[in-house]
Amino acid sequence: MSGRAAAAGEGAAEIAARSRWQEALIGWSFAAPFVVLFAIFMAGPVLASLVMAFTDLRISDIRNPLSVDFVGLDNFVQLFGDAKFWTTVINTLYFVVIGIPLTMIAGLAAAVGLNQQIVKFRAVFRVGYYLPVVTSIVAIAVVWRLLLSDESGLINGLLGMLGIHGPDWLNDPVLAMPSLIVMAAWRNLGFQMVIFLAGLQTIPQDLYEAANLDGAGRWAQFRGITLPLLRPTLLFSAVITSIGYLQFFEEPFVMTKGGPLDHTLSVSYYIFNQFGFGNYAYAASMSYVLFVAIVGLTLIQFRLLGRED
Amino acid sequence: MNVIRRLAVVMAILALVLVACGRSNEGGGASGAASLGPAVSSGPVSGDLTVWAMGTEGEKLGLLAKDFMAENPDVRVKVTAVPWDAAHDKITTAIAGNTTPDVSLIGTTWMGEFAKTGALDATPANLDPKSFFEGAFNTSVVNGTSYGVPWYVETRLIYYRTDLAAKAGFTEAPKSWADLMKMAEGMKSKAGAQWGISLQAGGTGSWQTFLPFAWQQGATVIDDQGKFTLDSPEMTKALEYYTSFFKGKLSPTALEPNALEQGFVAGKIGAFVSGPWHIGILKDPKVGGDKITGKWGLMHMPMEKKATSFVGGGDLVVFKDSKNRAAAWKFVEYLSKPEVQVKWFKTVNDLPAVKAAWDDASLKGDENVAKFGDQLNDAQSPPTIATWEQVAAAIDSEVEKATKGTESPADAVKAMQQQATSIGTGS
Repeated sequence: MSGRAAAAGEGAAEIAARSRWQEALIGWSFAAPFVVLFAIFMAGPVLASLVMAFTDLRISDIRNPLSVDFVGLDNFVQLFGDAKFWTTVINTLYFVVIGIPLTMIAGLAAAVGLNQQIVKFRAVFRVGYYLPVVTSIVAIAVVWRLLLSDESGLINGLLGMLGIHGPDWLNDPVLAMPSLIVMAAWRNLGFQMVIFLAGLQTIPQDLYEAANLDGAGRWAQFRGITLPLLRPTLLFSAVITSIGYLQFFEEPFVMTKGGPLDHTLSVSYYIFNQFGFGNYAYAASMSYVLFVAIVGLTLIQFRLLGRED
Repeated sequence: MNVIRRLAVVMAILALVLVACGRSNEGGGASGAASLGPAVSSGPVSGDLTVWAMGTEGEKLGLLAKDFMAENPDVRVKVTAVPWDAAHDKITTAIAGNTTPDVSLIGTTWMGEFAKTGALDATPANLDPKSFFEGAFNTSVVNGTSYGVPWYVETRLIYYRTDLAAKAGFTEAPKSWADLMKMAEGMKSKAGAQWGISLQAGGTGSWQTFLPFAWQQGATVIDDQGKFTLDSPEMTKALEYYTSFFKGKLSPTALEPNALEQGFVAGKIGAFVSGPWHIGILKDPKVGGDKITGKWGLMHMPMEKKATSFVGGGDLVVFKDSKNRAAAWKFVEYLSKPEVQVKWFKTVNDLPAVKAAWDDASLKGDENVAKFGDQLNDAQSPPTIATWEQVAAAIDSEVEKATKGTESPADAVKAMQQQATSIGTGS
């Protein structure tokens, strides 16, 4: 009896195992197209670039890329001793530290404004603020160069009316980066605004009514209700913006080519240049340093802005 | 268990990959006269040819290809036009993927890196190096072997306003460094120009304006042993001379796009250094035309120890993977014929790289063009090392620091040397 029961139990386990296998097989075969595409077009290149960062691959090796030498951490050692790399790190941090708060504050201000006072032309303003986000950077560059141009620029023209001789914004080592920061903030605040608008609409109106009854002013309401309840949205937008801003590239590429005197050369731009010079391994190692920096900054933001209940 | 087994498999694969990697030792380059590859048969050729060319050359090369096919009826030439911006990447990708064309136009400063990949075929003995301008032919010579021939050339001269120069006391073009400086000063102080001469203050390609001055002083970029010589006293002197134009406010440190031509036509800028394309721009009625006819001229580079200029342009190469080597080189040979070079000049205004072509009346007869021909006999190209673009970028950024006064010329050349040495020659 006990023997038969055991046999029956084994049989059931076998069937269960087989059907589990079958299930897995069916599941994987459904997922196969995605898995294969992901492996070939995403995981493959990413892994290859990681391996590349530890070799001395250069443009002259492209005919037989497998014949390169592994050089261990040499690329990273060289990188941390590269004075130009540190210049680009400082430039990028400058851009991030000033640019992110500026963009977020501008976006938040636009969102709060649109959420309350302006009802009539809300759609018009929303489109207006969002337009730079979807406009090609090349078109933006043309317009901003017209604005910032030394002699024929609109800004210097206005300053001229006030009797001030305006500076050559993009060719001045001190002013070039702030000019690009303002331009980037202008370009990206629309995206922030849309995210913040969505966030603002989730805050229940009765909280404000209650605060009103308690006699809280506008500013107190903003600090006591809006900001705390907007925290998840703030976190999201800070993370998205910093991932984008750490890879700061397009603005200097179209406006200053990294100049004057490398004052707007960012880490991404330097990677781009090294890749252009054919130093593939060196560029790859730099990309991973940037990647680690992005992950690090994101974690810090989660710590600071994330839930701490 | 399972995990360990999987790990073992991964390790085994990795070990295999590692064993498969590793460079084979490469021999050093020979120096001396450029060596050529074995000759190709000069008999009739047949088959298909794919040719890549960039810019205007790519658009119009079909005309010459038609003539070639008329002479060689069994060959079919297919010309693919590639934009200059995308050319470097496209050729790199083609080499990596073994999908190279048979023949391609290549920017002269790319020769070093592409030759280093081993994808280019050595120039066969059928072509005579001496028929080309020496400076131009040298752009094809990498580590002592020639990998192609110059197709068209450009060199730099000084464009100057003859009327302003006359007011500054120069009825004839200045011939020395001192006189060039004096003319620039005079144009500013006596002829009312805002800038005596516009020299590139920095940014991509400013080495093309600066290096000629270094060559004129007798400086070199690299020696025969492949060691950089950028911090020589001659280089310092050249950079001191170059920066003195900026220090004396004779040259602008920043110019907006198009400001150069407008300033020159308006008499705000007395002179500038540029290639043959500016002849057409200045003659364009929208820019200059009648407004400055007879008021500008071209001058040979000034003499210090030499009067050397920069030579650039485009080279024609044949790829090793070409299945039709004989026909490919025959096409290159055809494009290098003096009469074909003259026809090409008449079609797209490209200056011929072949010396004999300059005997034609269409080139000799044009005063401006002839001046470029004259300068081509004393024109030099940068070294054809695989890392040139990167070294050039380092020179550009140090030149910018010197012209903007944030670094002394002596420190700038030291920094150039130090950066170039750490970049290496890529061999």
